[in-house]
Amino acid sequence: MALRGGHAAAAAGVSSGSEDDNEEAGFSRSYFLAKEKEPSSGKKRARAAGKLSDLNLVDEQVLRASLAEIPPKHEREVEALTRSYKEQYRNWLFELRCGFGLLMYGFGSKKMLLEDFASTTLSDFTVIVVNGYLPSINLKQVIVTIAEIFWEQTKLKRKRQTATRSQLQPFASQSIDDIISFLNNQTSDNGDDNVCLLIHNIDGPALRDTESQQYLAQVSCCPQVHVVASVDHVNAPLLWDKKMVHTQFKWSWYHVPTFAPYKVEGVFYPLILASGGHAQTMKTALVVLQSLTPNAQSVFRVLAEYQLAHEKEEGMHFSSLYTKCRERFLVSSQVTLNSHLTEFKDHDLVKIRKHSDGQDCLHIPLVSDALEKLLQELT
Amino acid sequence: MAAPPGEAPLTAATNIEPFYVLHKGGAAASSSSSSAPSLPSSGRARRRIDVSGPASPNPKPGKRSRDDDAAEDDDDDELYERLRLDAFHCVWSKIQSTINEVLRGISLKLFDQVLRWVQESFSAVRSIARPSAAEVRQPYPLLTDVICRKIPTAFVLTKNAEFVDDITTFRDLAEYLESNGCHLAKLSATELSEKNGVGCCFRSLLRQLLSDVPDVADIFALASWYSAAENYDQPIVVVIDDLEQCSGDVLGELVMILSEWVIKIPIFFVMGIATTLDAPRKLLSSEALQRLEPCKLTLGSPSDRMNALVEAILVKPCAGFCISHEVAVFLRNYFFKHDGTITSFISALKLACSKHFSVEPLSFLCMGMLEEDRENFWHDKFNALPQELRKYASGLPSCTREKDSTKSGDNMVDGLSELMNIQKDWSSVLLCLYEAGKHGKVQLLDIFCEAVNPDLHTQKAPNLPNEKSGTSRRFIDQVMDTIRYLPVETLFCLLEVWSIHLNGMDKITNKVKELQSTTISTDSVRITKDKWPRRSTNSTGNSTVALNDKVAMLLDDVTRKFLVSVECLPFHEIVCFKNVSILQSALIGNPRRMVQLDLVKSHKHLKCSCCRKNGIAVSASMHDTSIMCNLAQEYGDVINLHDWYISFDGIINSVHSKIKRKPHTSPSKKKSKPVAAESEAMIQARFCRAVTELQITGLLRMPSKRRPDLVQRIAFGL
Repeated sequence: MALRGGHAAAAAGVSSGSEDDNEEAGFSRSYFLAKEKEPSSGKKRARAAGKLSDLNLVDEQVLRASLAEIPPKHEREVEALTRSYKEQYRNWLFELRCGFGLLMYGFGSKKMLLEDFASTTLSDFTVIVVNGYLPSINLKQVIVTIAEIFWEQTKLKRKRQTATRSQLQPFASQSIDDIISFLNNQTSDNGDDNVCLLIHNIDGPALRDTESQQYLAQVSCCPQVHVVASVDHVNAPLLWDKKMVHTQFKWSWYHVPTFAPYKVEGVFYPLILASGGHAQTMKTALVVLQSLTPNAQSVFRVLAEYQLAHEKEEGMHFSSLYTKCRERFLVSSQVTLNSHLTEFKDHDLVKIRKHSDGQDCLHIPLVSDALEKLLQELT
Repeated sequence: MAAPPGEAPLTAATNIEPFYVLHKGGAAASSSSSSAPSLPSSGRARRRIDVSGPASPNPKPGKRSRDDDAAEDDDDDELYERLRLDAFHCVWSKIQSTINEVLRGISLKLFDQVLRWVQESFSAVRSIARPSAAEVRQPYPLLTDVICRKIPTAFVLTKNAEFVDDITTFRDLAEYLESNGCHLAKLSATELSEKNGVGCCFRSLLRQLLSDVPDVADIFALASWYSAAENYDQPIVVVIDDLEQCSGDVLGELVMILSEWVIKIPIFFVMGIATTLDAPRKLLSSEALQRLEPCKLTLGSPSDRMNALVEAILVKPCAGFCISHEVAVFLRNYFFKHDGTITSFISALKLACSKHFSVEPLSFLCMGMLEEDRENFWHDKFNALPQELRKYASGLPSCTREKDSTKSGDNMVDGLSELMNIQKDWSSVLLCLYEAGKHGKVQLLDIFCEAVNPDLHTQKAPNLPNEKSGTSRRFIDQVMDTIRYLPVETLFCLLEVWSIHLNGMDKITNKVKELQSTTISTDSVRITKDKWPRRSTNSTGNSTVALNDKVAMLLDDVTRKFLVSVECLPFHEIVCFKNVSILQSALIGNPRRMVQLDLVKSHKHLKCSCCRKNGIAVSASMHDTSIMCNLAQEYGDVINLHDWYISFDGIINSVHSKIKRKPHTSPSKKKSKPVAAESEAMIQARFCRAVTELQITGLLRMPSKRRPDLVQRIAFGL
């Protein structure tokens, strides 16, 4: 996350009294304690204690299947908690109308809560929902949509008043700055033509860059636009500088932990026990190798055995691999070896590295344990 | 884009689509299809007319069905909410315009300086040469003399580390210069960036000056525009408000180009500098620096502005909104400890204001303070109040404390009127204190915080021992001390100012006048006897010493009598915002702390009976992520996934093992073996989900390729 402003760090230290100082001291103390722990226990433990591969990990498919079936905990309490927020809906609306942006934080998915709030309480607003947790969001399209909504409204009004027909401007072909200046000119005498931008995870991966946040900030201070957003990342305040916080977004924070599972928000994160560990890469490597010819498998075995025997080295020279393979009658020419190697490289089974003597060498990007297991499985 | 119906269940599409329209707003929906939503709004409008009339009769509850009553209550709620919202907008726009006025007033001196400098520079440039329109348009430079290639540049030192406060200042400055006949353009730091280059600056310049921008934005376009008769006689001022943020190369290039033309097109720069005067030297090349002719100007300090703002919006009865002692102290700390920007102070105050109108049901009554005939206004409003609100009004803690009476309507009107009068005196006295305190460098915000303290009033007995009142009257006592040591001339001026502030409080004005007359008489004595009358020089300056004491005593007396905090008055809840905790939580969201607290102490939010049964820190019934977070507390800044999983597994299975009555002392690998494979998959799934959730909250960073077994903890401590 981009670091700007240091707002959060300062915010942490704002409250009155000496309690605050204690807190800060406590914070730093625990930080250093944690740091202290690391070399003595952390690393040792890491070396001495088990590895993920020691666990009896289930297959990814099974894992995903069970992920969908996790029984919910505290169902009643979570529901009661969510219900308790319903009483605040009127206050939230009031503050929104006062010109503040609502920023919801706290543990648990706030998607349902915010959409419930929007559909029950924001009936006077046109609500546009932005799923910020998705890795791909085209902010311009969102802004174009807002502009089109305003355009429609003015068109309707004009129809009622003077019955003149005007053509829809192609907003999509304008620059974002132009569209924002169009939005800035939208004013209305009755406060009913408002658009509410509901952004789930305004700190989401696709919105984390400065440019997106600047555009969002500019949109949020347009006269007829209101913003309701949620953040989940603890460092989210670092996304904004003071100008954005105080003069554009005008956040009013609400701490609303829901303890609801991050079902949709978590879809794009890899499962730690599935693809994160090398068990998985070992398995994919196996699948690839099994689909290759026995000769190609043997070439890979030569390379793997060399790597296991020379763990300290960066990898195996091409020439020595060629000699070894020729000795075993696996390849007859460099061309055949090259074709095998291309196959390996395409599937990320082999990487090319610079050897310390300056020549290129071949290397299998797997840890020794995994490589050993792979060779066992391959036979 | 098709709008899905508002009540539709969350389908997959709404989750996967980057964005969608949830529903169209009331106005758009009702105009495009005259359907249901138009009904409630018209109902609301009807009700609104009913109550805003002078005396709407109270509904008779007997004849109504229960449904009707409920609907009526809802309508009432909505109506009063709208009234409060209107009141907020009215009050805040008044405060905001006061703020703008004050800030502009403070900067006016600087604006004048800048304008005078612009005019002087312009006449200096014109005195060198006065090229004709045709000459201006010629593509080659008029003069090659180095001296004439310097662009007059005013560096305005803002003295603010934070730029955000100066945005409005520079906006006002630009307006001021423009209204005084300069051509004006503003360049922002984003325009002066490497990415955009000097071409973009030119385009922006032309867009602001010319009515239609040619396709090729270059200096010739500017020259031909400037040579037009109506533009020729004014200088062009380019305001760059945040110099430090600009790209030195781009700015340098711009300076080099413009300096060649400065005789033909008199462009001057006004640049805001937040740090020190050597900022331009650090930023620009020496070549570009030589092309600038600097002039240094300085903005007023933030504390000056703060004092003026506090005076205008918090001390002077402004708009029917004030803050309690606790809130005042909080805001003061927020200002001094948080970031010291006026912008954040104002936004905090605005939030307080909105919270007040959102939470306090009767807050809309403050509108009466802005009315001519306020008593009638309050009477009407009170009579129109539904029973529930009336009950609420008479049950306000501040009036039950004073007295309980049956005629609560009159009571409230009287109470509010009295509150206004007392507030007026309070602010006059406070200003007197501040005037005196100015000589001792006391900040208004500090005195203000003491003056709103309700304890000040309750412990006002004059002979209290110092220790007890010492803490709450620190700054007021400091002011008294300052007065005791003031020289007579200053004292005289002070009394003069007091008599202005105290206008309307006849008794005290008389006393002040009395003192003034003695000052004049002692003045002549002083000249003959002693040059520096001090309290310590007892023998000679007797009369003047007595005078200093007298003034101090008068102020002390007045302070004790009239400095009544608003919180001591009945019905103050209607205008006074007191709830510091909701302000704090809305102003300073602290996700780093709160999200961790949510997880570590999840039972506090969930209020379940299962999780804290035996006082065990971590139990299997807790939320999975909460268990993981609690376990993570025991690690350093890296966590071994294997160990973490084993202990998670141990905790989850402790329930099963208890049922099976298998004694397990420590979580180990063996323990997970007897459990069926299916549930192991489930535990792994739960583990994965918890890790993902911790990752989403940012408390955890994923393992790197080098160390696949370790994840990194990010937040430490609460």
